[in-house]
Amino acid sequence: MKTLLADGPSAQYPAEMEQFGRLAGQWATKITYHPADGSPSRTISGEWEFGYALEGRAVLDVWRWPGREDLPATGRTPDQECGLCVRIWDPRLQLWRFTFHGTARGDLLHMYARRIGDEIVMERAAGGDLVRWTFGAITADTFHWRNERSSDGGRTWRLDQEVHARRRAAD
Amino acid sequence: MAAAVELIAAPWNLGQAPPAPGREPEAWRGPQALLSAGLEERLCPARTVELDRPPYDFDPQPATRIRNGVPLREHTLRLGEAVRSALAAARFPVVLGGDRSILLGSLLGARRAGRCGLVHLTAHEDVRVSGSSLAAADAMALSLATGHGELLLSHWPEVGTLVSSDEVLQNSDAARLERLGPDRVWLHLDLDVLAANDPAQLTGLIGTGRVVGLDIAVPHPDGVDAARAVDLLTSALSPLASQEAHA
Repeated sequence: MKTLLADGPSAQYPAEMEQFGRLAGQWATKITYHPADGSPSRTISGEWEFGYALEGRAVLDVWRWPGREDLPATGRTPDQECGLCVRIWDPRLQLWRFTFHGTARGDLLHMYARRIGDEIVMERAAGGDLVRWTFGAITADTFHWRNERSSDGGRTWRLDQEVHARRRAAD
Repeated sequence: MAAAVELIAAPWNLGQAPPAPGREPEAWRGPQALLSAGLEERLCPARTVELDRPPYDFDPQPATRIRNGVPLREHTLRLGEAVRSALAAARFPVVLGGDRSILLGSLLGARRAGRCGLVHLTAHEDVRVSGSSLAAADAMALSLATGHGELLLSHWPEVGTLVSSDEVLQNSDAARLERLGPDRVWLHLDLDVLAANDPAQLTGLIGTGRVVGLDIAVPHPDGVDAARAVDLLTSALSPLASQEAHA
């Protein structure tokens, strides 16, 4: 499957490709869930790997938990996630089209993403709610990601999940 | 006079709900209704740009609860570019709708040419998205323009939010615009408001010299008196004509 991945971005839309492309590489993650019912937050480990694909026209990532340090000796269990995200810049819409394909629960999500200030904000409508996944505080070696939900059309947001990511050396 | 005007036809109905199951809304006929009634001959515009009629999708689209949200974004960007080009050529763009969602592309084009407020003349209350059913951009164009609702239609390249709420003047006249308004504004009006109001209101607004362009929504073209609308529009744009003639 050598045609799937790419070494770098396409020459088309270089500034846009860089928005997600700067995340290329491997990241160790701490994933924290904040239950809506007020029960205590819980944190697990994970791994996140980003890279260019499709002749540099797309940025993919693989989202996995738990991280290698917490992986069972028998390997990842069926309910532990190993999912694929696909991001393709759409010049007609001037934003990213995004899909997440989860293997643990069969999730398939569509979102739209764009840079707002120093952050990359992804959004989808989910029933009567809005859901945003935001990449922020991005440095060469760290970033913070948050998953928020609004039930009032975007006036207020509730933090459901967040990730602290730290770059790790490539395997 | 008319050398300064550029007509931009935006024949779309993407922001409206079907009037009956499987029946497409009629707003896309709006520009042709005005052109057939002689608007082009009366204004003698420097140019008339006719944008494509986008296909109407009855079905929900991925990740958005706004009806036709994806093509609306695409065609709003196109309309924005047409308006920006007209302004860059020192023309006065007059955008012919189409449903009320033409406000978004019109403002986008004006904002790309600099900071711009909005005078919003409508008899309809703007609504925000609520519930889980498909929402119509026609009914919430002002909310989207002021940055409320889905980012798909409320956040735009280069400019972000199209206009802040405190730079929107609802149903204002020239005196209020000169007292409260920004120096540079876009004018949005519904055809039914144009037909019902004193034409002097529009003439006065244009005469302030602060209006850089206007869009006129024609959400229900079958019910309008297009000839009267053309009379009113031509009359309203005459102050612009005299200013341009002496420039």
